[in-house]
Amino acid sequence: MSPADLTPPEAARWAARAGLHLPDDRHAAAAATANHIHSVVAVLRELDFGDTPPAGAYRATAGAYRAGKEKHDAAV
Amino acid sequence: MQPYELTLADAARRIRARELSPVELVDSVLDRIGTVDPHVGAYVAVTAEHARAAAREAEREAARGAFRGPLHGVPAGLKDLIDVAGSPTSASSRVREGHRAAADSTVAARLRAAGSVLVGKTHTHEFAYGLTTPQTGNAWDRGRVAGGSSGGSAVAVAAGAATFALGTDTGGSIRVPAALNGVVGLKPTYGLVPRHGVTSLSWSLDHVGPVTRTVEDAALVLGVLAGHDPRDPASLDLPALDHAAHLTEGEPDLTGVRVGVPRDYYFDHVDPEVEAAVRRGIAELAALGARLVDVDIPMTRYIQATQWGLMVPEATAYHEGTLRTVPDRYQADVRILLEAGELMGAGDYLRAQRSRTLMREEWARMQEEVDVIAAPSVPMTAVKADQTTVTWADGTAEAVSDAYVRLSAPANITGVPALSVPVGHDTAGMPIGMQLLGRPFGEQALLRVGHAYERTQSARSLAPVA
Repeated sequence: MSPADLTPPEAARWAARAGLHLPDDRHAAAAATANHIHSVVAVLRELDFGDTPPAGAYRATAGAYRAGKEKHDAAV
Repeated sequence: MQPYELTLADAARRIRARELSPVELVDSVLDRIGTVDPHVGAYVAVTAEHARAAAREAEREAARGAFRGPLHGVPAGLKDLIDVAGSPTSASSRVREGHRAAADSTVAARLRAAGSVLVGKTHTHEFAYGLTTPQTGNAWDRGRVAGGSSGGSAVAVAAGAATFALGTDTGGSIRVPAALNGVVGLKPTYGLVPRHGVTSLSWSLDHVGPVTRTVEDAALVLGVLAGHDPRDPASLDLPALDHAAHLTEGEPDLTGVRVGVPRDYYFDHVDPEVEAAVRRGIAELAALGARLVDVDIPMTRYIQATQWGLMVPEATAYHEGTLRTVPDRYQADVRILLEAGELMGAGDYLRAQRSRTLMREEWARMQEEVDVIAAPSVPMTAVKADQTTVTWADGTAEAVSDAYVRLSAPANITGVPALSVPVGHDTAGMPIGMQLLGRPFGEQALLRVGHAYERTQSARSLAPVA
């Protein structure tokens, strides 16, 4: 268990802060799953984002559309 | 050959030539559903009476020479996340008990306007949050997983229980079951096909697309589905393209097409039989004139983290209300993921969004050098239904669901189009899929390459169900 991992009581408290009451018999499983997810996503902290803005969703532009189409037209 | 065995394109040609009536075709598919569905469980609900009425209407139109296009009178199954007016959208979940859709989703309305006949709603892994679809058996071996989350759609098409189907894809949910059942699956560019009226798993990663027998069929369906709808905020207002127009019937020729072959990631931890079949497929593309170009996939260490960092909190947000009011109605595997998602901080979500920015830029640079990338769709064929982990040759163990998502996720994160095409079977007889990835809006190139490959192969048979 890493020092950053949530214990079952902590998972229940965090869930309560988010407005979700977790029954007692779910604290351990919720903590284990949350800790696993955390271990996966935590590697993103290695990245140097600088001024990189977030992409809320992929947003293709008309320019990307034309580029894709022109590339295809050139290939056929 | 029975009508249910026809591809969409062949059925369309026969209907147009008045050699086949929509009533015959729909009756044949409904009979086939009656034969195979008790074995594979692809459908949540079959709407036989509605389908027969729609087929009779399509037949009346055909009799007076009115054809709506290639989908006229052609039966389809829709993944049960897609709203059809007056029908429940079950999401294969008890959470949706009593649900009834008030209106058609955009894609259902477009299929209906194009003359397609809805024969039923197909099973999904509950709310699309999983890769196996446990209610449904694989079309080639019912003791193996169907893949997911669009498992019912892929199995129905593979078994002849739908001429084509629609699925959704958030981390591979069209391509994975398509590959595992030996059919074609297309995840279009993000924003090309509107998602209005389709239950979301993760707004920024969700796509809707076709599951079909052939690449040509996928092009025909995409032509009906694509196009702007402002009710989906991601939908893009761009000129329509004829996606089937470049699929020539002459000798297949890929001269001048640059096919990227990944040096890393897509061939790591891949079953040797899958790798061999995909490399034979790539060699076939080269034999058709394509130039193979080595490519290095960027930021591979961060793909799973980015996918999870986006999907987990978005899925939890979608289910916020029902997780509090009816948590016991979720299946255990979905409920625990939704609960754990409540514990992820905004910092993790924003890092994933910023990583997506970087990944998109890096992919755009890589894709300047190639027209398409060719790779496996999934690292291994369909596993036994009770198998939960896979162990690779170097001793690494991986969850089955993680393995099935691994090669699909990059196209969801970056939004690029991706097509899964069958490239044979392993020694156990299970289908293998090759994935073609394109530039944004490069569907025409994907379909052209996939179609050319298919034309070098003998026609595929339906799965031997029942």
